[in-house]
Amino acid sequence: MKLKKPWWNQPGMQIATVLVTLIIVGGIVGGIFLTQTSPEQPIAFPHNRHVGIGASCLYCHTGATLGPSAGLPGIEKCWGCHQQVQKQSPELTKLAGYVERNEAIPWVPVAIQPDFVHFKHSLHVNAGLQCSACHGDLTKMTVAEPQKGQNMGWCLQCHKNSAPEQWTKLSDCATCHY
Amino acid sequence: MAEVSKGIAEKWGLVVDQDRCTGCNACVVACSMENNVPFTGEDNVAFGRGTYWIYNKRMWEGNYPEVAPAFQPVMCQQCGSAPCEPVCPTFAAVHSEEEQINLQIYNRCIGTRYCANNCPYHARQFNFEDPNIPEPMNSYLNPDVTVRRRGVMEKCTFCVQRIVAGRQTASAEDRSLRDGEVMPACVAACPSGALVFGDLSDPNSRVSQMAQNERQYKLMDELGTRPKVTYLKGGGRNGG
Amino acid sequence: MSDKITRRNFLKIAGAGAAISAVLTGCGPMSRYIVRRPYTEMPEYNQTGLNTYYASTCRECAAGCGIIVRTKEGRAITIEGNPQHPLNRGRLCARGITAQQGLYNPDRVFGPIFQARGDTGRQARTTWDEAIPVVSEALKSPAGQIAFLLGTAPDHLFDLVTEWTRSIGAPAPLRYSALASFEGRSTLQEAANRTFGKPALPYFDLANAEVVFSFGANFLETWLSPVSYSAAYGDMRQARPTRRGYLVAFEARQSLTAGNADEWIPIKPGSEGLVALALARLVAEARGEAAPAAARSIDPAAAAEAAGIEPAKLTDLARLFAASEHSLAIPGGGAIGQHEGLAIAQAILQLNVQVNNLGLPGGVYLTNTEQPTTSLAEVYNLVQKMNNSQVKVLFIHGANPVFELPKVLGFEEALAKVPLVISFATFPDETAMLSDYVLPDHSPLESFGYQRMLAAADRPVYSSIQPVVAPLYDTRATADVLLTAAAAAGSPLPYTDEVDFVQQMIVPLISAGGFYTAPEIQTFWSRWLQYGGWWVTEQALDTDISAASERPAAFSGPATLEEDKQFYLVVFPTQLGDGAGANRPWLQEMPDPMTTLTWNTWVEINPETADKLGIHDDDVVRVTTPYGALEASVYRYPAIRPDTIAIPFGQGHTALGRWAEGRGANPAALLPAAVNEAGDLAYNDVVASIALTGKRRPLARVESREGVYGEH
Repeated sequence: MKLKKPWWNQPGMQIATVLVTLIIVGGIVGGIFLTQTSPEQPIAFPHNRHVGIGASCLYCHTGATLGPSAGLPGIEKCWGCHQQVQKQSPELTKLAGYVERNEAIPWVPVAIQPDFVHFKHSLHVNAGLQCSACHGDLTKMTVAEPQKGQNMGWCLQCHKNSAPEQWTKLSDCATCHY
Repeated sequence: MAEVSKGIAEKWGLVVDQDRCTGCNACVVACSMENNVPFTGEDNVAFGRGTYWIYNKRMWEGNYPEVAPAFQPVMCQQCGSAPCEPVCPTFAAVHSEEEQINLQIYNRCIGTRYCANNCPYHARQFNFEDPNIPEPMNSYLNPDVTVRRRGVMEKCTFCVQRIVAGRQTASAEDRSLRDGEVMPACVAACPSGALVFGDLSDPNSRVSQMAQNERQYKLMDELGTRPKVTYLKGGGRNGG
Repeated sequence: MSDKITRRNFLKIAGAGAAISAVLTGCGPMSRYIVRRPYTEMPEYNQTGLNTYYASTCRECAAGCGIIVRTKEGRAITIEGNPQHPLNRGRLCARGITAQQGLYNPDRVFGPIFQARGDTGRQARTTWDEAIPVVSEALKSPAGQIAFLLGTAPDHLFDLVTEWTRSIGAPAPLRYSALASFEGRSTLQEAANRTFGKPALPYFDLANAEVVFSFGANFLETWLSPVSYSAAYGDMRQARPTRRGYLVAFEARQSLTAGNADEWIPIKPGSEGLVALALARLVAEARGEAAPAAARSIDPAAAAEAAGIEPAKLTDLARLFAASEHSLAIPGGGAIGQHEGLAIAQAILQLNVQVNNLGLPGGVYLTNTEQPTTSLAEVYNLVQKMNNSQVKVLFIHGANPVFELPKVLGFEEALAKVPLVISFATFPDETAMLSDYVLPDHSPLESFGYQRMLAAADRPVYSSIQPVVAPLYDTRATADVLLTAAAAAGSPLPYTDEVDFVQQMIVPLISAGGFYTAPEIQTFWSRWLQYGGWWVTEQALDTDISAASERPAAFSGPATLEEDKQFYLVVFPTQLGDGAGANRPWLQEMPDPMTTLTWNTWVEINPETADKLGIHDDDVVRVTTPYGALEASVYRYPAIRPDTIAIPFGQGHTALGRWAEGRGANPAALLPAAVNEAGDLAYNDVVASIALTGKRRPLARVESREGVYGEH
């Protein structure tokens, strides 16, 4: 008489377990991968070239000193220069298309915080923080790339190091979460 | 950042003058619109699942014809020694050292509801459902306040987003906050001027002065929660 | 066994899936792909993430409070009071605060609609290009056969239509709102006319009064201008270091105002006139003066008995009233919305004359403003004309007469006899559903305009209305539609558009001595928008008032009832106003202050009476009056006379969108079509009977979470 295998030794069960593990691992890996890659942008904007010729970050991201959001440039801003400085390139043709249709460029924000975090650019920029401290060296990027390990511990580390005398305020949950 | 160098922590306080309060509930709605508190519908309210960060406790006193309601707006009392804080397993209910208020950190909250059970004021509200706000009505949601999903506890924050914004504006202009500069939504709306908000650590602020009033009392003071909300008794028949 | 394990495994997978989605959504990248639509041309004063504030005027009721709207990226976020506005001084009520729920309501009318009279199946979107010739053709009808029915807001549209109708000799536009009718505005104005010889709305200086008698005036919730009266109430209580004001309320059903009063005197509906006369006589006695002519023949004890109160109480109150230096008597909607309402209002105003508070702090003044409603009697005339087919075209804006008017009046049937009905409604309300065309106006937060008839303003005020967001849908300002159509119809007005009209209307204000001025209209206009209107810095009330000759009055007193079978019926407005607030979910969810009930209609009945009749909480009862009937759940309300029942107004919509429809019952079905001498609805001396239906429908109450009344 053949002894019935215990349930965890049934071949179907084993295959199912492997599959489920794969799905879970794949999901996790995929999720983490997504957070660490640059999203596809409507126009592959070459940051390196613009920063290279000396354009200030604030020229396009005007909100950084004023409010919570640094802001993304609209077609008026791009076209202000590129109407004159016109070079043929596939990306600039895309830009010309948006301008012609009078349509906003649907930029995909890269350095984005979750909804329950209320980050304010102006406070950090006005305190003398360089853009590159958080956004990386844009002279080496074409489209903006997400920076690794930007989690709450990273925020707090910087808060602790840069202004230890304000630790009570800068470590308070209500500073960012409400 | 002048206020920190002074070395005195801000302590926000609220005074509710029950003699001025008419019970009109404008504060309830003002709070909900400012803080993205979702409306829940008739059935949820009937089940006791309506979400009100501030509610008007109406208690009938006396018998007909000498009957009258006593109105008592109740919001989170921002206890100095809060019963909700030590019971939270995930440290979602924490005390703010800077603002001296109780915070609810939504991303930590896993919805055990221990805090609500331990709150003597019924101030904490649980989201039984995701907010059901159809397009385009979600356009009025306040981007300064997180929209909570279901399974998360929430409560009055003294409109901490306004406190933080006010503090930051003041420090950008290199001055300290003026008395009355920061007003939670309920205080701003209150038609009869029953609510006064301010800094209790400043003895000259209006809220400090009013909190000294002889009519003052704290809600369930005997529990030792050290609330930051001071009530002033109504005159005449109503709670006098 | 294996079943169980599969289930457990399934739970594991589900858990892991949930964890993954939490990782994905919680950490941000998912919200990257919410499509962001930046401005193509950002206004230069606008910055992403920063607030832009606009000053405007609340149009949720006729009061005209100034508001400041906080906008972000072109969206209206929060509404607060305008701190500089002389009426509300930065305060606001629940209705104003929820105005965005009207703007962003998903059930708005999205564009012009042609419909085959109520047949929603055949309704079709049309275009403005097709709709405007229809309006212009309609405006070419014989002048006598054109009728306009407008709401209490906005005033600039009323001014424009008035000017146009005058130019072609058509009947002047009517203005109607159920709320105004419940408030008894026309009666108040006419009573002031007869008592003081000037047809102006009285202004009651509550803030400086020491003893206040309110006769059915629910000024803390709905009456005239609840925000400014609430502020005055707060000051009356606590702003003076010396004396705390004392409020006494005379009404059968305890309203919020009576609930806050120091004494609530539950008199029978219909006995207000008798009580006022009795008080007049007792006050005169207490002051050692001769009683006024009207009160000479009254027997205070008999009056008190007729009103169902203790005579001694009345004497005490009269002494209190007579002894104070700042006494004030306020005739409110509950008291004057009756058959004898005008005489009652006069009798109550006369109490003020007796204590010489006219034009003095804590007393009665007269405002410089007109009152924004025509009396209901004129609406009745319109219905008559409609029934006689004397109206070819009816334009309706800002009012919902099918819902608001007493059903017994038959407005709906009369409407069917009008060949062309054009509605300018923003919402598909009951009246719009029965119109031929719905040509939606902008929502108030998308419009220009002004409010100038502010019932509780203590000075001349023009309160400006400006758009705070760009119009969301294919709507068009009614003023623009009418101007264009009138020009095409050959009866043009000298204005290019709505803004031009408003600017020309405010030109006289430049030199009228307000708190700012400007060399020319464009600069003035920008300040007008910036400040939220124009007003003068000093209080400018009419203090030159004196009592005209008084006429003797006699009151028939309250109706006699068959005990426990018949009841006085009190219909009262709530935060839903004239019913238009019913599609604001937060106004529905906001607990009624006195009962803590939400989202429904209820019938208030004294617990003692309910016990006698075997009625429990949440029992559905049928309320019948000679004019109609409705069914609603019972709320046992301790603060109401045992011989009175009360029903809130505002619910019972059959249209108006998902939050309003099919909810509660409309007490307009119970109301008579009768008006008092001044033409206001006589709604407060109706006798009703109730019967159990055997059904039960629980009401959503907030108090139960606290268990305020103990067991239930």
